[in-house]
Formats: sequence, C-alpha cells, structure tokens
Amino acid sequence: MSADTTHILAPQGPYPPGPEMLNAPVDPQWSRESGARLRAVWAQPRGLRYWSAVNNSEVGQWYAMLCFGFMLAAGVLALLMRVQLAVPGNDFLSADRFNQFFTMHGSAMMFLFAVPMFEAIAILLLPAFLGARDMPFPRLSAYGFWCFAIGGTFVFGSVFFGAAPDSGWFMYPPLATQSEGIGADIWLLGLSFIEVSSIAAAVELIVGVLKCRPPGMRINLMPLYAWYVLVVGAMILFAFPPLIAGDFLFELERSFDWPFFDPERGGDPMLWQHLFWIFGHPEVYIIFLPSIAIAAMIVPTAAGRPIVGYSWIVLSAVAVGFLSFGLWVHHMFTTGLPAISLGFFSAASEAVVIPTGVQLFAFLATLMAGRVRMSVPMLYIAGALAIFTCGGLTGIMVALVPFDRQVHDTYFIVAHLHYTLFGGMVFPVMAGVIYFYPFIRKKMMSPRLGKWAFWLVFTGFNLCFLPMHLTGLQGMPRRVYTYPDLDALNWGWLNMLSTAGAFVMAAGFAVFLWDVIRPKGRDAAAPRNPWGGGTLEWTHDVPEDPGWGVRSIPYITSRYPLWQQEGLLERMDAGGCYLGDAPEGLRETLITTVLDARPILVQRVTGPTWITLAAAGFTGGLFILPVFKLYWPALACGAGAMAAILWWLWRDTARPPEAARKPVGLGLSLPLYATGPASVGWWGMFITMLGDMTAFASLVFGFFFYWTAGDDFPLPGAGHGQPVLCGLAAACYGGGWAAMRLARGWNRGGRVGRARLARAAAPVLALAGALAMAGAVWLPGLDPASHVYPAMLWAFAVWTVVHSVPGLVMPLYCLAGSLRGKLTPAHDADLWNCTLYWHFLLITALVSAAVLGPIPRLM
Amino acid sequence: MRRAAGVLWAMLLSGPAAAARQSVIHPAGEDAALVAGLFWWLLGGAVLLWLLMNGLFLYLTRLNPVPLSRRLAEMLIIGGGVLLPTVVLAVLLGVTLQKIPMHMRPGDGLRVHVTGEEWWWRVEYWPEGADAPIVSANEIRLPAGQRTDVTLGSARVIHSFWIPALGGKLDMFPGRETRMSLLPQIPGTYRGQCAEFCGLSHALMAFEAVVMEPADFQAWLTAQAAPALPPADARAARGRAVFFAEGCGGCHAIRGTAATAGAGPDLTHLGSRTTLASATLPMTEAALAEWIADPESAKPGALMPGYGHLSGAELGDLAHYLKGLR
Amino acid sequence: MTGPADRLRPDEEEKTIAEESSSLWLLVVSPTVWAVHFAASYAITSLACVKFPDLLGVGGLQWIIGALTGLALAAILATALRSWRQWDFLEDYDHIHHRPRSEDRHEFLGHAAFLLSVVSFIGTVYVALPVWLTGTC
Repeated sequence: MSADTTHILAPQGPYPPGPEMLNAPVDPQWSRESGARLRAVWAQPRGLRYWSAVNNSEVGQWYAMLCFGFMLAAGVLALLMRVQLAVPGNDFLSADRFNQFFTMHGSAMMFLFAVPMFEAIAILLLPAFLGARDMPFPRLSAYGFWCFAIGGTFVFGSVFFGAAPDSGWFMYPPLATQSEGIGADIWLLGLSFIEVSSIAAAVELIVGVLKCRPPGMRINLMPLYAWYVLVVGAMILFAFPPLIAGDFLFELERSFDWPFFDPERGGDPMLWQHLFWIFGHPEVYIIFLPSIAIAAMIVPTAAGRPIVGYSWIVLSAVAVGFLSFGLWVHHMFTTGLPAISLGFFSAASEAVVIPTGVQLFAFLATLMAGRVRMSVPMLYIAGALAIFTCGGLTGIMVALVPFDRQVHDTYFIVAHLHYTLFGGMVFPVMAGVIYFYPFIRKKMMSPRLGKWAFWLVFTGFNLCFLPMHLTGLQGMPRRVYTYPDLDALNWGWLNMLSTAGAFVMAAGFAVFLWDVIRPKGRDAAAPRNPWGGGTLEWTHDVPEDPGWGVRSIPYITSRYPLWQQEGLLERMDAGGCYLGDAPEGLRETLITTVLDARPILVQRVTGPTWITLAAAGFTGGLFILPVFKLYWPALACGAGAMAAILWWLWRDTARPPEAARKPVGLGLSLPLYATGPASVGWWGMFITMLGDMTAFASLVFGFFFYWTAGDDFPLPGAGHGQPVLCGLAAACYGGGWAAMRLARGWNRGGRVGRARLARAAAPVLALAGALAMAGAVWLPGLDPASHVYPAMLWAFAVWTVVHSVPGLVMPLYCLAGSLRGKLTPAHDADLWNCTLYWHFLLITALVSAAVLGPIPRLM
Repeated sequence: MRRAAGVLWAMLLSGPAAAARQSVIHPAGEDAALVAGLFWWLLGGAVLLWLLMNGLFLYLTRLNPVPLSRRLAEMLIIGGGVLLPTVVLAVLLGVTLQKIPMHMRPGDGLRVHVTGEEWWWRVEYWPEGADAPIVSANEIRLPAGQRTDVTLGSARVIHSFWIPALGGKLDMFPGRETRMSLLPQIPGTYRGQCAEFCGLSHALMAFEAVVMEPADFQAWLTAQAAPALPPADARAARGRAVFFAEGCGGCHAIRGTAATAGAGPDLTHLGSRTTLASATLPMTEAALAEWIADPESAKPGALMPGYGHLSGAELGDLAHYLKGLR
Repeated sequence: MTGPADRLRPDEEEKTIAEESSSLWLLVVSPTVWAVHFAASYAITSLACVKFPDLLGVGGLQWIIGALTGLALAAILATALRSWRQWDFLEDYDHIHHRPRSEDRHEFLGHAAFLLSVVSFIGTVYVALPVWLTGTC
C-alpha cells in the first residue's frame, strides 16, 4: 500500500504543505488562465454527444434518475396489486398477471432500484465527499450504467408483453426451473447482467475510497459516508457472486437440463435457497447501510456539530457488514433444517441488532450534543427513525424461530420488510434528495411541497403497512392473488385500509416527483452551502463547475473541513491547492495512500467515449440473446464485448506518460505512472477477482453441500474426471502461470525478447489446459443431464474453461503492447495486472482439477 | 369505559374472535398458544422501546434542542446501543432457543402424511401400526389432546403446510420428507393454507382442519377407512354412470369401485368433507356441478379438464352422486 | 488555514505509528474470527446432524463447538488486547481521534478494532448458545 520504488517513483517536493505555503497568495492571472484550461479539459460534450459523457456527475445523475423511474414503475405495479386485493374475491387482475406483478415488484425494487440507487448516489457523491475530480475508472461507471440501463429495460419491459417472470423474486426451484415461457430466463440472465454493473460499481467505489482521497484525509478523518461505501462495496463483492454462481447453475438447468435442483436426479432445491439468501440477506444491509450513511451526513449538519461516536459508527458499519452474512438461514426457518442450525442463525440475527442500535444511538447522541435545527431533510430522517425502529423491533421478533414459524410468508413479513426498507432506505434517500438537490441543481426543493410529500407518504405508508401486521397474524399468507370472503378470516377491512393507504402514499410520491422535476427557472439560486454543512461536497460551485468537482484538490486536516479549516474554500477556488491546472489537456485526479492519504500519483482518467456504450450493448447481447436460445449470436456478442473493452483499454489506459513526474501545485511533483499495487488498475483487478473467487467458492460450497445433504453424491458407480487429463490440466495452467510470472521479471530486467516468448507461451498453455479440462469430463462419457454429480463436474470444467479465455487473451494483449511500445520494462502495469489475473486463474484451475479428479475418489 | 376499550381492542385485533379460524393470535393448540403468549410479551416490549427511542428523538429535536453534555451523549451510545440490547436479546434467545425443537416432539401414535399437489392436499392417515394408510384429501382431521405426527412431502414444487391456530408452518419438498407434530387442544374447525408460493393458484390452496374429541375422531377414521357407499337413489346411480362414462376414474379413486387412479384427490368420502377444491368452494351439489363443468374458472391452472360438454342434468346427477359419497 | 494542532513535527512520526505499522486489517480480525467460528459451527452441525447422525451425537457436537468457541473467544480477546494497546486510551483519554496526526490514525484504528472485538465477542457467545440451549438436531 505504501509507495515502494519497484512500483512507483517517489514524489518530489515538500509534503505536507506548511502554513506559509497554504497562505501564500495565488497569482490571479494564472488562476484565470489555468481555470480556463481546466474547464476546457472537463467540459461535458454537448448535443447528442452528451450521452458519451463518462464523468461521475453525469453518469451518477442518469443512474439515479433511471433508478427513480424504475421505482415509480414498480410502485405502479404495487398499486395495481393493492386494487386487486382491496376486496375479497376480486377479479381485477388474473392470477397469472398478479404473479408477474409481485415478482416484478420485488425484483425491480431490489435489483433496479434499491441496490443501483446506492451505486448511483455513491458515484454521484463520493468524489465530492473526497474532493476528487472523478471516480478512478470513469468509463467503468459509464459501462456499468449502460449495462444497467439495457438490462433493466429488458427485464422490466417483459411486464408489458405478459412475459415477465412469475415465480417470485426469490425464484425458488423447482417451481422456477420448471416454469414455462421465458420469464424465468429473463430474470436469471437479465439480472445476472445487472449484477455485473453492481460489481463494477463496487470495484470502483472501493478503489475510490481507498486511493482517491484528498491529501491529508487520513483514514480517521474520512467522511462517514466513505466508510459506509467501503463496507458496502466489500459486501457486494461477497454477496453478489453467490447469486451469480446460483444463476449459472440455474440457467444450465433451464437451458441444458443439468439437474442441479431436480430432486429426482440427485439435485436439491435447497442449494438455490442457500445461494439466493447468502446473497439476499446481506443485500438488505447493502441497501440499508448507504442510506443510513446519507443520514450520517445530514444529522451532523442539523446538529451543527461533528458526529458523536465516529469510531462507534465505523464499528457498527463494519460489524453489520460481517454479521449480515450470518443471517441468511432466517429466511429458511421453515425448511426443516436441524434445530441447532436454526439456532445459530437466530442468534446471529439478534446479534446484528447491536451494531444497528449503536448506529441509531450515535445519531441520537449527536443530536443530544448539538443545537438542532429542524429542516425538511431532518423531517424525513425523523420519519425514517420512526419507521425503521418499528421494522427493527418486528425484526427482533421474526428472528426468533418459534415466532417466525408462525408469521413466515405472511403479511406480517410484508409489513416488517417494508418498514425496514422504507425506514432504512426510502425515507433516508428522500431526505438525501432534498438535502443534496442544491448540490446538483443549484436550486432548493420547495419546503412546502417537501412537507406535503412527507406527510402524505408517512401517513399513507402507516395506513398501508401497519394493518398488515395484523393481517398476517390473522393468517393471510403472502403472494396470494385473492382471498375468500369468509367471516372466519375477516381480512377484507384490513386489506381495504392497506389499499387506501397505498394510494395516499402514491399521492405523496407524486408530489415529491413533481417537486424534483418541476421547472425551477424562477426560483432563486441556492447558496453554495445552503445547509451549512462541513464536508467537502459543499465546496462544489455548480454553475461554475463543468464536471471537475473542485477547482483544485485541497489539503485536508479535519473531519469537517468547511467548519474547521479557515480559508480553505477561497484557496481551493483560486486553484491554489493541488492539480489546479491542466497544461497537458488531460483529465487528472490524485491518488493517495490508503491510511494517511499521502499523495503518490497523478492518475490520468478517461474522457467521453462511445466505446462504453458499445461494450455494454455487446455485453447485453451476450446475456439477453440466450433467453431466446440464440446461443451463437450471443457468443458473437461476447466476442464483440471483449473486442470493445480491449480497444478501450488499449487506446486510453496505462500508456507511458510524456514525463516521469509533473508538478501538481504547492511545490509537489508526483509521478505519472504506477504499476502493480501502487496503481489503481491493479487494485481494480484484485478486487474484481476477489468477487470472482467468491463465486467460485460458492460452486465449491455447492459441491460439498450435495455431499452433505444427499446419499448419492458422488454417485456410486459413476465415473469421475479422467485423472491423467486432470493432472495435465493442472500442469498446463501451472506452466501458463509460471510463464506469466517469469515474463514479468524478465521484462522488468530488460530481457524483453525472452519475456515476449514467455508471454507467447502462456496462451498456448491456457488453451492446452482448457482442452485437457474439457477432455477430463468429456472422455469418461459423463452425462451431465443424467445426475447432479456429473453435472457438477461439468459445471467446474465449464467455469474453468470460460475463465481461460481472458487468461488466453491477456498475454497476447501484453505481447502486442510490448511490440507496439505501450509496454516497456519501466511501464509494465498491464503485465502486472494480467499476471495478477493468472494467479486467480491458477487457483481456479487447481481447485477444479482437484474436484474433478482426486477429491471425489477420496469421498 | 375500560370495558368498551377492551371490546374495541378485540374488534381491532380480530373482528369477532370466535370467527377467527386462521389466526395466530387465537390459538387452539399447544404450539400456537406458546407463540401467541410470546407475541404479547414481544409486542409490549417493542411498543415500549419504540416509544423510548422516538420519544428521545422528539425531545432532542423539538422539545429541548439545546446542547446537552457530550459525556451523556456517549453514555447513551454505550447504554442504549450495547448494554441494553445485549441483555434484552440474551434473554429472548434464552427463552426461545429452547423452544426451537418443540414442534419436533414425537407424537402419541397417529401419523398424518400430507403431500402438496398443484393445488390440493393429498392426505394419508397412518394409525399406529397400520400397514396401509387411510387416504383422503383437502381436509385434515386431528384428535384433540393428542400429539399427532405430521410428515410432509410434495409432488413437484415446494409448498408449506400451515394451520395457524394449531402451530407453525413447515415446508413440503419434492424428494424429501419433513416432519413435525401438532397438539390441538380445542375441538373445532380451523383453516390452513399453503404458505409457500407454489404457482398460479397458490392463493386457492387451503384446507379445513377439524379438531375432534378423540372418540369422535376414532369413529370418523373408521368410517373413512370403509369403501364408498353405493348410490342411494336412481339419480345417484345415473351420476355414477356419468362418472365412469366420462373416465373420471382415470384420475380419481373411489374405493369399492373400479376407479382406483391416484392422480387427483381420492373421492371415496368426498361428500363428508366440509369444502370442495381445497377449501375454495362450499361442499354443495351446485358447487360440485359448477366445478366439474369448469374447474379453470374456480382455480386457474387446475390440472382437471372441464366437463362443460355435459348437459345440466348429467352434471347434476354426477354432483348428486359425489355429494352422496359420505 | 491550519491551526497549531495540524502542524506535523517529524518527531511525532514515531516509528510505532508510521503508516506501515498499522493497517486496516486489524479492524477485520475479530469479526473474521466470529465469521470463521460461525461457519465452522454451522458446517460441523450439518455434518453431525445430517451426514453422520450416528457418529458424534449432540454431546460430541457440544464438546467440539464448545472447544471451538473457547478458541474463538481467546482469539478475539487477544485481538481486543492488542487493539486496546494500540488505542492506548489510558495514556491520553483520547477517544475522538480527529486530529491530522499519525497518532490519531493509529489510535483510531486501535479504538475501532477494540470496539469490533467487543461486538464480535458478544456475537460469538450468542452463536454458541444454541448448542447448549437448543440441544438437539
């Protein structure tokens, strides 16, 4: 993590800057000229080319608006369902349509609103909190956004054709594996595609928090929002991949009849439930934490003082991040698992209350120690607290196994989850929209409309969901499209109340939406820091800001720089801090060290381009076409996506700079090139591959799950992977890895020819390894459709072979770079990143070879 | 005044309590009673904590928005965030962890095996030591005061077996048997319903659970074990002829006749059940005729084909015959 | 723009609090111990209750998980102790760590790691409860 000489040149010049440097006047003429140069560099493209922008402020806004749109659409589905349920025996919606609607309502709210909304807000705000100019990989954000836009439209659009998934957002097999039509495929492939953008965002955000902070912003001074983003990014890396692994198995079953979840052929529907909820429960906290993070920015502003219990909040964020992975079976308390196992999850589900409580009490403590000014955002925070504590308290109830066995899958749970999500996500996000609106638009939202919207949503929400607790206790199950008119049930009046409440709530959202989009041309411009906040986002000066974020990147010495660092704003605006100029005409941001944020590098970030849109389009084809069984065109799209990404990397990343160092202001000169762990690209690769490893680990978990749960795994008498070929595959991948590793050393040592040879050998070995791996399951005639055991072996082989494709392309990319002068002994970032990939490929290949060959023979 | 409030409270909670037959908070069995008792404690505690938390917020932001000591604020984090929940949750876990295996206690002899079908319930009674089950469908009868084993399975997709008044639910899986037991205490008719989403007509997969005095139950079970009654009158005989002419025996069994198939519900004592089509329709001849003519309109996706081509008289005869199978 | 407290004297950058000597990893040690204990308890219970119901019995399970819990708690305590030292609370009673000094960063990480150890300790005890209280598969 530190700047070491093998990966990066040392900075030159004084750091930290002394007070005399920070107080030295800035030449006004230079300030004007450099400002103009910087503005030209960061100018957004205009006209149609606007959509080729990659800057975080643009991408973040598109992202957020699209999520908001999906939320409204999914909310309309909810209203239609409430109409259907208003009276017993209603026939407003057919059973089929109702099932599609509730499936899409849940899926869209989770995958198209709650999680991406976090990503959108974080992309929009994080660089501002950190005084950074942009995210470290702007094009990755844009790519993620376009993937989301294409995938989300595809998934949600299916509702209009009556072809939407209808097995519930949890897609339990065998119902979902055996469901007819393309609904289930749309869900699996469409949402897997969107998960790609979530993981892209996670990579981006983690690297952003760790490496893109302003100089001086040590880890103990970081805004709490950044802590939450760090934790949530890490959670995404460990929570989403199990679902991707599950989707992989699920789609193999649907497309090729490999019986992973079919009990008649040794499969087990419980594996899906495990994989789904290992994702599904952390996901709830992935939604909750970033929203509470918004509250953590609003509360100190309202209290007019720094947060009380900074360390406590960090503790609670990290602890929730961990504990949330030990809760998943509380969605499975009624599946007949061993009693002690249920006990573990009940205990962990209660334990997570402690850090969550700490979080809330830290806010109360801050309000207690401050002089509180109520504002409209604080009104929403109050509503959030009222609703969330209610949801949390019913959460304590449902974490108790005997109680859950009664209310599980009833309207009590519907009430509970909406209380947690509205209190934990919707209200804080609405507070955030009002609070940060002037940051984005330079206008205030109307306090009057804000209060109207609040009281309508708050009243409507409670009218809708409070009665549902009772509806559930009186025995009404979830996901029923109708219910009988029986005195014995008496659910009618409760449902009528809920429906009325839903419409009141909808009216509130309509007011809120109007307030967001209404033309505000006549409204007075908002002041620069309208709420009197203390953190760096309020240094943005919107009309002046073409997208650069800050005029110059400040030196930070406190948690609330605008409250505690006098004169900071003036100096930043004059361009007198870091990177106040762009003489080379390139977009740049600062890279600093992880703990103490010492500046170590000037990172050139990429600018507007269409290539991300093209890459996303091709990636969309790769995921969407298989829904219609168009496998060859899908593969062609996959090749297209890879070509687009290679083109984008080749043209604009890791190019040897024109000079070794450049002056960045305040006397400091920083290097322009870094390699290995000193570069952000390496961290991006490392973090991506951690996620990939988690998905692979989920497959391994599946293998052992079948062994534990069933008597016929490995299938007695069945063949195993061909042992010689397993060994050969392991040897080939080992050789490929060694070639890459040697190439790195040789290249660095100046033996360029030898390094090129090694790089040429690696793809050959990857190909040979992949062939051997495929042969190991092919030659013994293992039929994957016959039983889950051979299917599982095939799944490992397929996984490894697919991962060999980048392993094959990457050395060639490096070879081409070496031949064209992009990769030199001193500029070898690509080589480091590709070697890093090969480390993980080697682990995947060795474990797969072991699972195919020796391990089942030992079982 | 207090009395009026009490009545209002009861109304709010349930409507007329006597009529609440699918309610967690109107228990009629040991397991359900325990959870209902637990719930009132949980509710009381939750209301108290909610008022504390939100009252504090109101006080700090509206009633007294002036700075208090920072030290007090930090004590609040430690006390409210760590100490209080640690103790409260430990107590809750201490009480409830012991109760997790409650529903797995062995029964007193009788076992009921229920299989989830789409969308109905196949029910088999296995008295202690029986070699073959007494088969029924879409209605469960249990003796009061005895613990009955319930084993669960499923034909194709996951369902969940739940009688709120008697105890918690348990999922039904294809290819795997789950088991629990129930101890009903108060005789009466309750209602159960599938609690795991199972496809198109999940909403219409319910059943009546009848708790009987043990002696009555024994008598009922003996009657259920007997073959079907012959047609009681000429109309029933005509109905029976329609039954066989239309090939109903290709899916349904009526013990004591040539109809022995097991794809659909066993009809041997259909007329003795309280409801039709897994508690979707009343057990009347009119409902039977309507159902046979067009099952799809009563239960979307039902596997049974419609017999709308039969004449009204034929349908009436058939319904009369089936209703007579007591 | 900088106050007196913000001025860094080289002698404050003691070796013990240089960036290289503290790390974010300390934060995650205790929760990771909790996670490993949790996963191991779950896996062992599955094996003992489902795969090999006759091999171990609940008594054996209680012994194994009891021992695991002891180990985990010891590891968490050790981490708590190490982070308590890093926090060094009794030296200056600082629990806010808001100054721009290496010492604050160093002590902050210790403080947060200590608090995480406390929560992990409670969590681990909670997770061990079912083995004794539930007491049956």
